[in-house]
Amino acid sequence: MTSPLEARSLSLVREGNTVLDDVSFTVAQGEIFALLGGNGAGKSSTLLTFLGFLEPSGGDILVNGTSVGSDVALARSAIAYLPEAAALYGHMTAYENLDYFLDLADKLASQAEIDAALERVALLVEARSRRLQSYSKGMRQKTAIALALLRETPILLLDEPTSGLDPIAIDEFHDLVKALAEGGQTILMVTHDVYGACQVADRVGLLRRGKLVGSFAAENNKRINTEAVHAAFAEREAV
Amino acid sequence: MMLRNFAREIRFLSKDRGALFWLALSFILSVIAVSFGVTEVREQRETIANLIEEDAADRANALEGQEDWGSAAYYAFHFTYAPPSDFAFAAMGQRDSTPWKHRVRMLALEAQIHEADTRNADFGLVGRFDFAFLAASVVPLLLILLLYDLRASERSASRHDFLVATAGSSLSLWFPRALVRVAGLALLLLVPLWVASLIAGASGMVTLQATGIVVGALAVWWLIVELVSRIKASPSVLLTSLIGLWLALAIVVPALSKAVIETNNPIPDGGEILLLQRETVNDAWDLPKEATMKPFIETHPEWREYAEIEEGFEWKWYYAFQQVGDQKAAPLVEQYREARLRRDRQAGIAALLSPTSFVERAFEKLAGTDAVSMIAYEDEVRDFHAELRAFHYPLMFPEKDYDSGLLAELPLYKPES
Repeated sequence: MTSPLEARSLSLVREGNTVLDDVSFTVAQGEIFALLGGNGAGKSSTLLTFLGFLEPSGGDILVNGTSVGSDVALARSAIAYLPEAAALYGHMTAYENLDYFLDLADKLASQAEIDAALERVALLVEARSRRLQSYSKGMRQKTAIALALLRETPILLLDEPTSGLDPIAIDEFHDLVKALAEGGQTILMVTHDVYGACQVADRVGLLRRGKLVGSFAAENNKRINTEAVHAAFAEREAV
Repeated sequence: MMLRNFAREIRFLSKDRGALFWLALSFILSVIAVSFGVTEVREQRETIANLIEEDAADRANALEGQEDWGSAAYYAFHFTYAPPSDFAFAAMGQRDSTPWKHRVRMLALEAQIHEADTRNADFGLVGRFDFAFLAASVVPLLLILLLYDLRASERSASRHDFLVATAGSSLSLWFPRALVRVAGLALLLLVPLWVASLIAGASGMVTLQATGIVVGALAVWWLIVELVSRIKASPSVLLTSLIGLWLALAIVVPALSKAVIETNNPIPDGGEILLLQRETVNDAWDLPKEATMKPFIETHPEWREYAEIEEGFEWKWYYAFQQVGDQKAAPLVEQYREARLRRDRQAGIAALLSPTSFVERAFEKLAGTDAVSMIAYEDEVRDFHAELRAFHYPLMFPEKDYDSGLLAELPLYKPES
């Protein structure tokens, strides 16, 4: 069976620097795969190659079995992407943002569906008609997640999704991500939040200076990850 | 699908206060520019209408009581003018720096034309804020301000990739987003122009051509902004680069072209023509009459049998030396005329390097306010003056009896356009 996401011997060289070096992994349908690594390990670059923003120097990137390079629009249509800073428009309300981005994604949603999504991410009703510039980071993140929910794409890419969130918001977010995966969505998240990743992911991959140095099932995380993860992060100063 | 993209971006634009400010400013500037133009054209038309009336009354007054053809010709002034076209409100062009009205009489003509090379010299410094100036020079800046950071601002807000990933392709995002702004700008600029064209009675074809020029200029500047804004730089760097390009294309290139064209095509001063002719005319008083009549007869052999001057002063001798003054100045006049036309032709070629100059010139041509039109007016004045001479000489040279009734047939200036 074709994996929704697959990196096949992926290499990426930018301005003479090796960013990714022979990285291979697959993410199965309904699976949450977390890529862990220090700053500059190549995590975000991996996501950007799946979205077609960076062209691999070697290997291939496949979304639903199709090479991203051959049809980037098709790949993007299957993916909802949540960047690190949920970069919605501050001068627009949550409703207006969702309306704009859903339209941009060529997706129609009724007001009831939008409210249901906002309800699911627990964004307060009274906040929904306020401009996002008055939102906390967590509220903005919730709005962006609601967008991802409404888009109903089979794949979700998350870039440092819990960065800057308070512990309660992180817990809520993890619950939501798990629920999405249970609903069949394939999720690839990159993070440097070791414990968060181990808590939410089915599998964890460790990126060190562009190399995938390990991949572990989350049930083993208590013992294995502590050592391997520390080894991966120890390299970050040299990067 | 495309319509849906535009509808989405129109909604987005309606919430972008910065863009709305620039668009509103464009509309206000356009209204101001066409209002200035319409007012100026109305004033020029009123001036012409008043002067036509006053000129007729003044001439009737001057001719009353005259007893010979020479005096009648001497005291009768004739008002000539180049009426502004119906589209002149959009581009006053050379009408600000070249005379569009002359009051001439039967004396040597060229001095009357070149009495003042430049009118409204103050406009030479500040320029006039008409629609052509707005479309040529100001609109590119407004377009730059509307478009320069479409991508860069999204990049600096870390939203670029999110937006493109959501849209699926750049085309369905940036193209409609930019097009909505460009179309909005075009519409807000053109609506006042269209309304003014209707009020002024400009032809639909001319208005359509003007619309095409504005849209074309916007397209060229859009392309420039698009190419520059693809560079992955901060909004401030992009803005600085684009303003630099605007300076180069709108100021530096035209200034350099002008300097090169003027150096390569020296032009006699209008004052030189005036001086040469006046000296010729003044000298004639002290020269033997033969020295005047000989060159006159060479060009007007039909009056040879009347060329003998018997008295100390005769009107036919007086008008002959006026004519000879024009003849003497003719090579310089021709040189002046040709050099201006040559400069204009070369400026037209140089304008291909500057969208600003191109638009300005295109508008002046449509409005009939370009150098060619103004030279054509001077030629019309010369033709009219030739008609005056053709009317007077057959009465003056054979020394026909004065009959004031014949003055009703005096040629009247009728502009061709």
